[in-house]
Amino acid sequence: MKKQFKFLAFTLLLSVLITSCSNDDNDDSGSSSLGAYDNGYFVLNEGNGNPATASVTFVGDDGIVVEDVFRLVNPTADEIGSYLQDIFFDDTRAFIISGSANQVTVVDRYTFEYIATINSNFSAPRFGTVENGKAYVTNSAEWNTGADDFLTVIDLNDYSTTTIIVGDYSEKITSDDDYVYISNGYYGSGNAVTILNTNTQVLTSIDLGVGNSPNSIIEEDDDLFLLSYDYGSNGKIFKINTATNAIESTIDLPASLVAAKNLVIEDDTFYFTVDASVYSASMSSTTISDIALLTYNSTSTYGVMYGFNVEDNKIYISDGGDFNSNSNVYEYSLSGSLLNTITVGVGPNSFHFN
Amino acid sequence: MKKGILFLIGIVYSFHCFSQTKLDSLQHLDEVVLKSDRHLKTFSNTQKVATLKDTLLNRSAPSLTQLLNNNSAIYFKENGLGMVSSPSFRGTTAQQTAVVWNGVNINSQFNGQTDFNTINIRNFDAVSIRSGGGSVLYGSGAIGGSIHLNNNIAFNEGFNNFVYTNYGSFNTLDFGVKSAFSSKKFSVDVALSRSSSDNDYDYVDSDKTNLNGAFYNQSISANFGYKINAKNILKLYTYLYDGEREFSFIFASETPTKYQDLNSRNMLEWNGIYGKFISTLKLVYLSEKYKYFANSNFETFSFGEAKTLIGKYDLSYRVFKDAMLQGVVDITNTLGKGSDIGENERTISSFSLLYKQQIKSFFYEATLRKEVTSNYDSPLLYSLGLQYKFGKYYTVNVNGSKNFRIPTYNDLYWEGSGNTNLKPETSKQIEIGNQLDFKHVSFSATGFYNDIKDMIRWLPSGSNWQPINTDHVETYGLESTLDLKYHLKEHQFTLGGTYAYTVSKNKETDLQLIYVPKHKATATFNYQRNRASFYYQTLYVGDVLTLQDDDPKYILDAYFVSNIGLSYAFGKEKQFTLGAQIKNLYNINYQSVASRYMPGINYNFYFNYNF
Repeated sequence: MKKQFKFLAFTLLLSVLITSCSNDDNDDSGSSSLGAYDNGYFVLNEGNGNPATASVTFVGDDGIVVEDVFRLVNPTADEIGSYLQDIFFDDTRAFIISGSANQVTVVDRYTFEYIATINSNFSAPRFGTVENGKAYVTNSAEWNTGADDFLTVIDLNDYSTTTIIVGDYSEKITSDDDYVYISNGYYGSGNAVTILNTNTQVLTSIDLGVGNSPNSIIEEDDDLFLLSYDYGSNGKIFKINTATNAIESTIDLPASLVAAKNLVIEDDTFYFTVDASVYSASMSSTTISDIALLTYNSTSTYGVMYGFNVEDNKIYISDGGDFNSNSNVYEYSLSGSLLNTITVGVGPNSFHFN
Repeated sequence: MKKGILFLIGIVYSFHCFSQTKLDSLQHLDEVVLKSDRHLKTFSNTQKVATLKDTLLNRSAPSLTQLLNNNSAIYFKENGLGMVSSPSFRGTTAQQTAVVWNGVNINSQFNGQTDFNTINIRNFDAVSIRSGGGSVLYGSGAIGGSIHLNNNIAFNEGFNNFVYTNYGSFNTLDFGVKSAFSSKKFSVDVALSRSSSDNDYDYVDSDKTNLNGAFYNQSISANFGYKINAKNILKLYTYLYDGEREFSFIFASETPTKYQDLNSRNMLEWNGIYGKFISTLKLVYLSEKYKYFANSNFETFSFGEAKTLIGKYDLSYRVFKDAMLQGVVDITNTLGKGSDIGENERTISSFSLLYKQQIKSFFYEATLRKEVTSNYDSPLLYSLGLQYKFGKYYTVNVNGSKNFRIPTYNDLYWEGSGNTNLKPETSKQIEIGNQLDFKHVSFSATGFYNDIKDMIRWLPSGSNWQPINTDHVETYGLESTLDLKYHLKEHQFTLGGTYAYTVSKNKETDLQLIYVPKHKATATFNYQRNRASFYYQTLYVGDVLTLQDDDPKYILDAYFVSNIGLSYAFGKEKQFTLGAQIKNLYNINYQSVASRYMPGINYNFYFNYNF
């Protein structure tokens, strides 16, 4: 009887352990969590200039929301800055860009423990990517010209920095296989893509043509996808072959969809937004329907669809609100039904998945 | 400009030569006529007007922010010491406080407000605070109240000179010299001041320092008076301000920015006293110019420049012995241009009618004003004040008024955003003031209610921000002051205090407006014995919302800051004064604006010489 009880208890315990383990495990890596902020996503709240309003919110896969993760974990560390622009990752670290403080704060991407602040060679930094042990951050410098826009190159071993002049509006950035891709569009100015060979430091520019100012850039299976629009003309999705740097195809968005932005590719599907609506199209289709997948309610006129992403069967939308109070994130199913509404910080502008 | 000033001085000195003849008949000119800002005396009887004394001015740091913050119920939002500073008077916005130079409204044509750190108090003889609405008298922005910077043109006082120097922590230098000469017929005074600071203070409880916060400003003022004859006086007031400020960092690696101001104010005034009539003609020329360097490392800047010409005539008539009627006509022409507003001209005319009468213990004053302009629909402004004295010690005032704040150049003409369909913000308000005056004690308490409509706010509209008339704000509260004076043989004690309770609610959100504390208090205790004096000053500012969100993490904590000072007068006629001050005595770590840390304990020393 005793033995049987022991066996029962043991198997029960074992089953609990196994189930709890598999419950936690959404990465199918089989290992346990790498830190408190392993399984979930970060929302970057850019704030309104007052540093207290700039924060990072964590939303766990279990639905638990942690506000202001950075200050919670690092109460005495140097501040992350204000007007937070972007978070980008390497395998172990997260890099948080502050546009006004001209700095990048490095933290552990899973525990959010402070590692370093990098604040040399930035001037209004915008977005970043990591390639081959180096981080590349676009800088706008003077807003009214693209001629002084540059990249800050951060050596991720010692956080030393150098710069490379791009000389054209430099905003969104992505990278793959030794190449860094920069979209040269800034609120309707700039009509190109710049490619940096990180081994040779050679820059190549691809002209997208007048009126095609890119606002999104994605590298997917050795192709580059850009979404462009210009005030008054309809948007286009460009596909560029990264082996030849040739524009392989362009898809015109319907004329009724003005000022499309936020291109995301997930499971061979394009997603993008126009005002408060989300549109989708199969990557294999040559035309795009102007029937919205979903439209959400927003009272914000400037912060409509301030952040947007699609990941693992969910659509994520953040609303900028009035930039003067805490705002909301909405999680939708791929069919467009609202799953969750989550209160985050001031001016949430992007989603970053861990 | 320099040439112009020299020329003026030249003219004045030549006047001086033939004005030596004695004219005793000039003596009976009404003292009030000599004031440039007569309405502060003649039509502000049913509202609280507090004039800060010389001793307070001499003791204060040169910025108008510091003077008023420590000595009045007005709340200041200061972006770090010496940086952009905007007031909230009775819970209103910075544009709803008028700053009045010798009777002329000098709020910026561009943003409708005055940065209180761009006014150096050393150039003025008196600074007065007038609580409550005053748009009939002082125009746009006199909703929460108005601040009056006045120069007194004195006659028959001979030669007077005053030198002021102050040096303190963070390499802060404050220097002023004032020279005045007056005979029976002629008066001139010239004042120069300069204030500068490295302003690189260490933050309290931190290893960080205030970076990129240096500033300097210099002003020159010159005022002239000439009694032509028993019935006519000519006066000329001039003031020139030149300043540059870096805007301090929150983060060490920010892009450095700086700001330059160049403002001039000039007024020629002719007073005529003809029996029961007093006539005043004023010609005013104001200029303001700013340059903003978004990156101090480059020469590129954005700018705004406005030139305003005002002609104003008023005629008052003594109807009975205790009743006065006054009519005012004025015309204001402004030409403004800037990197973001193009070039625009606007002309505003207005007509006002004022009447006051004393009937035994009862007094009333009533005013009306109507503007005519093609730029916006201007409402009829009015005020009615009643006063009753209950015996010797107790006075009750009731005052109700309608006031406005007109759209600014930025609101109307900002490229791609300006909205030429804006209406002025309007405020209807009522207040009841109680004043008790005894030999050693005076006390006042004023309850006010203010309903402000069509507040202009910049809101997003498509890809743009546009100003629209939107907010409806209600402010109410209580303002009180207490003054005690007592002396026992050679010991003199004074105590002055203010306390304000302010509710300022956006009717839509029901939240207190951002950066308006519910409680603010100041107190100064002064002890003097013969040549030595000591004071202790304390300031309390309650917590404020920094966002339209009452999440506690966006609330700025209340603070208590105290200063002490000692001074000693020496010389035969006590003509020299040496003083030392310790500011933020308890080294409190506080912020007036979120993340804008103010200095901890700091010191300064001053020397005054009167001769």
